[in-house]
Amino acid sequence: MNNNWLEKNTFHYSDFKDLGRLVAEKTRKNLKISLCLPTLNEEKTIAKEIIILKSELMTRYALLDEIVVVDSGSTDRTTEIARAYGADVYNAAEILPHLEQFKGKGENLWKALYITQGDIIVYLDADIKNIHHRFAYGLLGPLLMYDEIKFVKAFYDRPISIGKNKMRPTGGGRVTELVIRPLFSLFFPELTQLIQPLSGEYAGYREVFERIPFPIGYGVETSMNMDIYTKWGLDVIAQVDLDRRIHRNQDTKALGRMAFAILKTFINRKVRLGLIDLRDELFDEMIQYNLVNNQYQPELFKIEEHERPPIIEIPEYREKFKIEPDFIQKLQEA
Amino acid sequence: MDNFLQQLPGFVDEIKTLKEVIITNIVLIGQTPAPTFKEKRRSKIFMERLAEFQVDEVTTDGYRNPIGIIRGTDASKPPIMVLAHLDTFYEKDLAVNYVIKEDTITGAGILDNSLGVGVVTSLPAIFKKLDIRFESDIILAGTIQSIGKGNLRGVRHLLKTWPTPIRGGICIEGIELGRLNYYSDGMIRGEIWCSISEERSMLDEYTPNAIIILNEVINQIMSLKMPQRPRSRIVVGKISGGANHGKIAHEGYIGFEIRSDSYRMVKKIFGDIKDIVEGLSHEYEVDLNLRTISNLRASRLKYTHPLVKNSAVVLETLGIKPFSKSTESALSIFLSNKIPAVTLGITHGVDHYKEKATMEIEPMFKGIAQVIGVIKAIDSGVCDEQQLA
Repeated sequence: MNNNWLEKNTFHYSDFKDLGRLVAEKTRKNLKISLCLPTLNEEKTIAKEIIILKSELMTRYALLDEIVVVDSGSTDRTTEIARAYGADVYNAAEILPHLEQFKGKGENLWKALYITQGDIIVYLDADIKNIHHRFAYGLLGPLLMYDEIKFVKAFYDRPISIGKNKMRPTGGGRVTELVIRPLFSLFFPELTQLIQPLSGEYAGYREVFERIPFPIGYGVETSMNMDIYTKWGLDVIAQVDLDRRIHRNQDTKALGRMAFAILKTFINRKVRLGLIDLRDELFDEMIQYNLVNNQYQPELFKIEEHERPPIIEIPEYREKFKIEPDFIQKLQEA
Repeated sequence: MDNFLQQLPGFVDEIKTLKEVIITNIVLIGQTPAPTFKEKRRSKIFMERLAEFQVDEVTTDGYRNPIGIIRGTDASKPPIMVLAHLDTFYEKDLAVNYVIKEDTITGAGILDNSLGVGVVTSLPAIFKKLDIRFESDIILAGTIQSIGKGNLRGVRHLLKTWPTPIRGGICIEGIELGRLNYYSDGMIRGEIWCSISEERSMLDEYTPNAIIILNEVINQIMSLKMPQRPRSRIVVGKISGGANHGKIAHEGYIGFEIRSDSYRMVKKIFGDIKDIVEGLSHEYEVDLNLRTISNLRASRLKYTHPLVKNSAVVLETLGIKPFSKSTESALSIFLSNKIPAVTLGITHGVDHYKEKATMEIEPMFKGIAQVIGVIKAIDSGVCDEQQLA
């Protein structure tokens, strides 16, 4: 196990607070950076995210080249508000519309690759109540300052000890500690060093994101960690402490459904990698029980974890980004 | 100044191009709690933001009021001070998360005074955008310990210890756009506490009730004669007491404010209330204590003072109808230090003291333009040779 990774590839956002230096590095490397905010009914927080990131990282420091909102069909005023504050707003269903339609965060992230221009893409959840521009520049710092790093994940203030006399807050949320960390410990011990593998904030180079599949729902973060790790190794990954993050709290049943989707993604990945065999197909319904009139009644949630292929396999994408038509064939041969 | 006034309406759209920067300052500052006496975190952000906007100097005075200084072009001119109070009514543990919609921002303390502080920290960027330089140094201050028991200590100290004369001052408040305050009444805010020992209630069948006694205090205060000249009034604005519907109240208090054109009259009325309190304390044999929370001397600019007249012209040039009334803000400290000053409001809003206080975004840009107009008026010399009333 690569035990040095945690020490070497873990950063604090304040390591990158010299924004002038980040802009200089971006210019030197001739890079474009896109920020993507996937949304579904986020009218209370979306404006604040756009305004603060635009003010600090576009108007004052030219770190971001575009802010893109990809919406799953909000029924509140999310898209109107986002437009009013100058974001480029897309309805996910209208991007690559000839493809089969799915709804989910992963779908929005995947489609964002088609409509954004950046060499680097920053993904931030749109429900961050205490949004601060550190959420974006903290993730961009390692990507711009360290050539070997291609993908950066966020973590927040939960204590864990790192080496001698160093304390950091531990662990992620409940799903991380009860589902993901045990699974990683069993199958991918190196990945346990990711303090919050399910955090919704991450950034990476297009060349990474375009070559991995995206589950359309909750499983997207899990699969992303596993795919990048198995494809390029741990050293291309870094994590950044972004201090505090305040967001909506979810009830246990909602977390149960999230855990279901993540487990399914994980198991499917294991099968695909040839690490385990399944005799039967996995079911796609999460069954939870409610006490109604002194009787337990089941509640069924259909959670199909559809998965988008690496977007580089989509002809329209290759055409838009001028990737040679026979790229896939060459890649397979290589 | 006339040329500048002609340009002023055009500034509104220019300022609007910095909408995101201004709102970001309001939100980052406003979401950092700063109850009176606990303003340290907000003070730090205030200084960080000014430093990021590259003002010439960022520091604190001896009382820890955070200050930024933009150097002027004429070192012989005294500085102009623009300030907003940092502290809010809300406690530190209240999670303040502002909600921004197309036209409004909502959240605790936004109107009093996160908006004002956010505007003060945005001024360096706005001056740069408008390419404006002033002869005087511009001192941008966020004063601590203003509200309630703070009793304007921050601004009192700032003005008392400032090493040079000050050319003029502008106090920024979130609302109401159009306010042009140039005088303040004499004022004393006080509390009357009634306390009855629990021991006594066990021994005495006819234990007095703190609420009933305070009620008697209120009745006697209300029967005091208020003169028409100088205009004077008493407001009983707070009351609290008791523990349970069916239990005699052992503790209670009322909060009140005396205001008058004359500070001498304020002190006389305060003396009358003191007599009432001592009399009832003796009569009922209870602890009845009168405490002063804050006080202000009456002070004013004349309506004909060039600062008032020119400020009114600035507002009217922007299509803002000025109105004025007495204010108990930092203005009175400027005036009592013989420094001409006015208080301006930035925008319109509702639910001022509620957690869902809401400000309108669009009028804010005119509100900021008026601040720049009034700074320019002071910089052009309207305060230089006038004595205060």
